Amino acid sequence: MRIEQQPAFVLHARPYRETSLLVECLTPDYGRIGVVARGVRKERARLQRAQLEPFQRIQLDMLLKGELATLRGAEPSGAVMRLTGDAGLAGLYLNELVVRLTGRQDPNAALFAFYERTLRRMAAGEPLAWTLRRFERDMLDSLGYALQLDVDAVQGEPLEPKATYFYDPESGAMPGRAGDPQAIRGADLLALAADQAPDTAGLASLRRMMRQVIGFHLGGGELRAWRVLR
Amino acid sequence: MSNGSRLLGELIDALRCLPGVGAKSAQRMAFHLLERERQGGLRLASALESAMRDVGNCTRCRNFSETPVCSLCASASRDKQVLCVVESPSDLAAIEQATGYRGHYFVLLGRLSPLDGLGPDELGLPLLAERLGEGEVDEMIIATNPTVEGEATAHYIGQLAKAAGIRATRLAHGVPLGGELEFVDRGTLAHAFGSRQSLG
Ligand SMILES: [Zn+2]
Repeated sequence: MRIEQQPAFVLHARPYRETSLLVECLTPDYGRIGVVARGVRKERARLQRAQLEPFQRIQLDMLLKGELATLRGAEPSGAVMRLTGDAGLAGLYLNELVVRLTGRQDPNAALFAFYERTLRRMAAGEPLAWTLRRFERDMLDSLGYALQLDVDAVQGEPLEPKATYFYDPESGAMPGRAGDPQAIRGADLLALAADQAPDTAGLASLRRMMRQVIGFHLGGGELRAWRVLR
Repeated sequence: MSNGSRLLGELIDALRCLPGVGAKSAQRMAFHLLERERQGGLRLASALESAMRDVGNCTRCRNFSETPVCSLCASASRDKQVLCVVESPSDLAAIEQATGYRGHYFVLLGRLSPLDGLGPDELGLPLLAERLGEGEVDEMIIATNPTVEGEATAHYIGQLAKAAGIRATRLAHGVPLGGELEFVDRGTLAHAFGSRQSLG
């Protein structure tokens, strides 16, 4: 099947056969898709190779046959988003997260939009930790793993901002005890629900909570990029 | 494919592990060695065997070496105060050939790439941090590739230098020599634009 002018972001590329690359792309209509870019590892294809770097929105022409597509053409669309400093490391995390949590060819236009919006925020220098938490929340939502951030999992009662909870990935917010390593304030869960950045302590709790939730959806694994993100 | 000789078949098959060598070129190489280059072939075989058996990595810079410390690291004539960090031994060779650089090197053998399973430990960064802590180095030149992963790696290593109180510099990159702006890809142009320099 011929696919024309499909918007895409490259998530990762690795050598494939003699001179080709296997490029993992995120698209709205095909979700994550593996695209073989033939011959781009040759010296003369430097320009083409440069267009297959992450964080640049491109338009793909490809031929989809079975599990993998073959690249017919790629051209940039829109300005280059330069993620410098810690944003570059956060970008690698974003890409690992998307590759590890999605299956191939599972259409998800919402995820594509969240991903693009997150890159823009990072390129614009918005606070990284909060930007990543918002993306994780929206991504989980788009994959059908929406977090339950406003009511507790036992009684279904609205969360108390001052109360302490812990977040169970399977059921949601449970009554917790202050001082537990996984303890999180009701106010922090409500802040994430309302898309209002919490304070530094709240961001740290949300980060711990998200790592646990993501680890659960990975089937108990962890992400490599966690080791480089401080 | 049959050519009547089992050993010849094995040779052709083995040659295909070389980059860019497919079935056709492997066959051409094997015939060439057997028909015209027996001496050279034997030399190749023995050099290949020794190198594969004895070449390891330098314990100081991780470059290829058959001794625990390579000749570059052991050299008394090189400047111990400058350390250049590269992704691969071939990058090191390129810098040696193209520049007059006389300092030392550190070879990462990769770049930060979570999806390839490459993190700080795989790149030998604890060893690099240790090296920076020795107090001899006062400038670190970060020469990782100008790719997204190379840039992220440069940033991460730059933080190590900062923590050790060492000045870190990054290779300039931008429009290729002899290039014309309209034919330069957007990423390169954006980068060159972002890191423009004052004139004179
Ligand atoms: Zn060495």
